[in-house]
Amino acid sequence: MKHILLVCGTGVATSTVARKKVEEALNDRGYKGKFTVDQGKVAEVGGLSPRYDLVVTTVRFDTSMSACPVIQGTQFLMGFGTGPVVDKIERALFGSDAK
Amino acid sequence: MSYILGFFSYIQGLGATVMMPIIICILGCIMGASFGKSLRAGLTVGVGFVGLNLVIGLMGSSLGAAVGAMSTRFGLSLSIIDVGWPSAAAIAFATQVGTFIIPVCLLTNIVLLFLRATQTVDVDIWNYWHFAFTGSLVAILTKSVGIGILAAIVNEVIVLVIGDVTGPDMEKVLDMPGVSIPHGYSGAFVPIAFVVNFVIDHIPGLKDVDVNLESIQKKFGVLGEPIIVGTIIGIILGLIAGDTVAQTLQLGVTLGGVLVLIPKMASLLMEGLMPVSEAAGGFIQKHMKGFGKMYIGLDSAVGVGNPLTLAIGLILVPLAILFAVILPGNHVLPFTDLAVLPYITVMVIPVCKGNGFRSLITGIICLIATLYIATDLSPLITVAAKQASFDMGTATAISSMCDGGNPLTWLLVRLYNLGNVAGMGIGIALAVFLIIWNKKRIAKIAKEVESETAAQ
Repeated sequence: MKHILLVCGTGVATSTVARKKVEEALNDRGYKGKFTVDQGKVAEVGGLSPRYDLVVTTVRFDTSMSACPVIQGTQFLMGFGTGPVVDKIERALFGSDAK
Repeated sequence: MSYILGFFSYIQGLGATVMMPIIICILGCIMGASFGKSLRAGLTVGVGFVGLNLVIGLMGSSLGAAVGAMSTRFGLSLSIIDVGWPSAAAIAFATQVGTFIIPVCLLTNIVLLFLRATQTVDVDIWNYWHFAFTGSLVAILTKSVGIGILAAIVNEVIVLVIGDVTGPDMEKVLDMPGVSIPHGYSGAFVPIAFVVNFVIDHIPGLKDVDVNLESIQKKFGVLGEPIIVGTIIGIILGLIAGDTVAQTLQLGVTLGGVLVLIPKMASLLMEGLMPVSEAAGGFIQKHMKGFGKMYIGLDSAVGVGNPLTLAIGLILVPLAILFAVILPGNHVLPFTDLAVLPYITVMVIPVCKGNGFRSLITGIICLIATLYIATDLSPLITVAAKQASFDMGTATAISSMCDGGNPLTWLLVRLYNLGNVAGMGIGIALAVFLIIWNKKRIAKIAKEVESETAAQ
């Protein structure tokens, strides 16, 4: 089970949008049930990231605050260009050949 | 016509928890989403509202007791409880103005785009709540929903123009080409930043000062975690109120819980809005091609990760509490919106060209203004909450440091203290002026780009 932390400014609006899209995209690719997604504020990354495998963020921040890898996900807010980002997430969590 | 008004009146009378799902469901279907999806979305919004009511009711009661005790023991009259922006947003969407806000603001954006008076496609439907908030307060003050809607439109026009004008700076700072920030809250502080920046530029000596604040995030980052902040404040309040050890600890955990639960409830609200938001965004993008330089309007949240933004946001937390206590005439108890203080500086920092000193000074000025404005607008906000059947527990007065402390909102609302006609007149004049000004500015940029490409 892989754990993703979705981060935005307040942990409310933009991270909800991104979370739904990430969940749908990963489910469509056959990973349903193999991951969890939680939301958080960018200010909480330091405290929360040790418990996660990956941080996906709609906000640009100093990635050294995170204990795990960080992937930029602003495309989820803009509504296009999300394919390559989901590719990156898939590779980071499950490796490119795992299914 | 009276049937339509009567229909809306009836739905509004059902209370926000029923009204919002119905409105969202209808909007979803109109935008082309399936009935099932629209129904689920509507119910999700309703559930978010139920959850928020529960948590705020709990907070109102817990804080209410502590506030009363503080007042008796120390004469501190911080009786206005800061319920936070998720509540303000929920209230804004649930009022009569809020009912119409999504189609009205979408239409306004589309009209402005066709008039070439804005470069921004504002797909950030969630943030229409800022305009609805202003509009709702005006509607209460003027006793007219129509005037309230007009105020919301004026608010949107101003914010769109600010988004356009700050577009190039935001693109650079965020490293996100094609993005602008038409944000009702963050954008409101841009004019203040302009003024502060201008003044400091003309003070010899001061104009070269800068401060490095980046390491603050590393050392004090824990102040940015809601669960910690809430618990600490709860314990401090319990101590001030003279509670027993047991009560103090309980208050601490309860308020920590409140600050963690509020975002989760608001997240549900957001989830329910998504189908409508996406459909609207898709519609606009499909029909708006070939208009020259266009921006996609996003939530200012995308800029909050900037180390300077975070650092200043953290510094403002203890300052907010300090100012709340020492500023005469302030009656707001900062709490839920301590988390939102970084949003003040998101668009200020680019205007100050990344200068930490100027950004901090601007932030402090905005913070002081916020407390006074939130105190001033509290009566109207409390009425709006009652109108939205919002549960405040035993609290009698609420506000929000976010839009309750928004200078632009305050301006647009208090215009109507001059009378309905004056308020409408000034508002419309301002909007028209900005539309014409922005249209000229956009045309000029387009011509410059044209002649550049022609010269190549």
